Amino acid sequence: MVLEATMICIDNSEWMRNGDYSPSRFQAQADAVNLICGAKTQSNPENTVGVLTMAGKGVRVLVTPTSDLGKILACMHGLEIGGEMNLAAGIQVAQLALKHRQNKKQQQRIIVFAGSPVKFDKKVLEMIGRKLKKNSVALDVVNFGEEDEAKTEKLEALVAAVNNNDSSHIVHVPPGPSALSDVLISTPIFTGDGEGGSGFAAAAAAAAAGGAGFEFGVDPNLDPELALALRVSMEEERARQEAAAKKAAEEAAKQEKGEQSTSQDVNMTDTAKAGTSESENKATDLTDDENALLQQALAMSMDDSSSNIATRDTDMPEAAGDDQDLALALQLSVQDSMKDESSPADMSKLLADQSFVSSILASLPGVDPNDPSVKDLLASMQNQSEHKKDEDKEPKEEDKK
Amino acid sequence: MSAESASAIQRNQVDLLDFVDWSGVECLNQSGTHSLPNALKQGYREDEGLVLESDADEQLLIYIPFNQVVKLHSIIIKGPEEEGPKTVKLFSNREHMGFSNVNDFPPSDTAVLSEDNLKGKPVILKYVKFQNVRSLTVFVEDNQSSSDITKVQKIVLCGTTSSVHLMRLSGDAIL
Repeated sequence: MVLEATMICIDNSEWMRNGDYSPSRFQAQADAVNLICGAKTQSNPENTVGVLTMAGKGVRVLVTPTSDLGKILACMHGLEIGGEMNLAAGIQVAQLALKHRQNKKQQQRIIVFAGSPVKFDKKVLEMIGRKLKKNSVALDVVNFGEEDEAKTEKLEALVAAVNNNDSSHIVHVPPGPSALSDVLISTPIFTGDGEGGSGFAAAAAAAAAGGAGFEFGVDPNLDPELALALRVSMEEERARQEAAAKKAAEEAAKQEKGEQSTSQDVNMTDTAKAGTSESENKATDLTDDENALLQQALAMSMDDSSSNIATRDTDMPEAAGDDQDLALALQLSVQDSMKDESSPADMSKLLADQSFVSSILASLPGVDPNDPSVKDLLASMQNQSEHKKDEDKEPKEEDKK
Repeated sequence: MSAESASAIQRNQVDLLDFVDWSGVECLNQSGTHSLPNALKQGYREDEGLVLESDADEQLLIYIPFNQVVKLHSIIIKGPEEEGPKTVKLFSNREHMGFSNVNDFPPSDTAVLSEDNLKGKPVILKYVKFQNVRSLTVFVEDNQSSSDITKVQKIVLCGTTSSVHLMRLSGDAIL
């Protein structure tokens, strides 16, 4: 993840027409360049890459260091092959282009593809190398194409002169069955001095295959802030989805309740919620079908069979806020359930206490204790659920009248 | 009055090491093993054995930013007799210079170090040129014996910061 500005020097001389690398030396080189550009920009989004050609009419900068991958790939099209490679001039122009980079904090690197013979002296190249080292520019050389002992020796001397703490490398790629790019992937040119190299190389080879097994595709060592941000947003999303699912289930449950008098879902352990939902029901059903639903609520808490009470939890606080008495009722029911886990029995005792229930009902706005249906309700609290169903229908009809 | 203020300046001089912004300190052409902290950092520079060495040739370009504006009064450069620096050019407030453009700008000051300087005698600078220094670039052009490697054992920057100077002024006013 080093912040780097890179200049890639392409050899587009006549020697590149040769087909000993498939499909041709030039094409293999172009593929390798594309891969390197992708690798550099991926390892650090602020990295910039530029491209120049060394042969043809003269050294020509195709694109100055930029982080825009599209621009770089576009300039690789329509390149003409011809002329002779001018290595010294190419490196010097690359150095100049790097000197004028926008972000001075970037490290400077030059990558040279040397496919044709080198006509310069070893001494000249060593001087160039020393100058690069003095200005802390790193150099990577890809020695492919023409195989020439003198060429190899000169390039080795050049890299040795530049090399400072193993930041510069030279790679020899002989012609063979495997493509130039494939051979380069495993070299330090790609892996960048071993920093986060393996993770990146694997990703490059597998074409962005989820970051080589790291969670979220980002190596926490390489980019801890990004990994943390991804993890946090994943958890938030999960929580949000759960809440949404809960709400959806509640909505569904409410719909059901309106239709059936009692639901048969048993939730023995959530007896605390049973008590509270009863009070909650009292509040929410006031505006509607008060008595019917009220009856259902009481029946629910009487029975061990309560509806999917868990899903109604979130409505409770809102209900409580509306009514002080309701809050009191809530408190009482909660207290009761806390005292005894299996509190339906207690709850029924409480409800059986007529005076208590009457007082609660009286405090509820809109419920008249003298209402016959309410009286029926109170009377029927000890009855079976089927019996309550009938009574439930009665008040419904009454109210419809 | 002026004599008093001159001595006041010397009295208030501090070692500007505390105001160096270490995250931005750079040195071009330094050797990997003998690097700038050997000459600049508190513990290392006292050790005579630890020196800053040049690498590819005898020149060095040291860039020192400060975390506040300072006034530079003098510098001390210690080094060995033979390979110690000779011509030293100082540039104030020039960011990211390279060896190619050192000769494009006139330096704020130039010092030719003598043997005494290399033993620790401070070089008094043109104070007026270093009144509000945000960063200092030290260009070591050559060394005493024209050898391939320049060695610097210690660099000390002496001066004042604006806050100290203001305090001094207010003291005078009260009197």
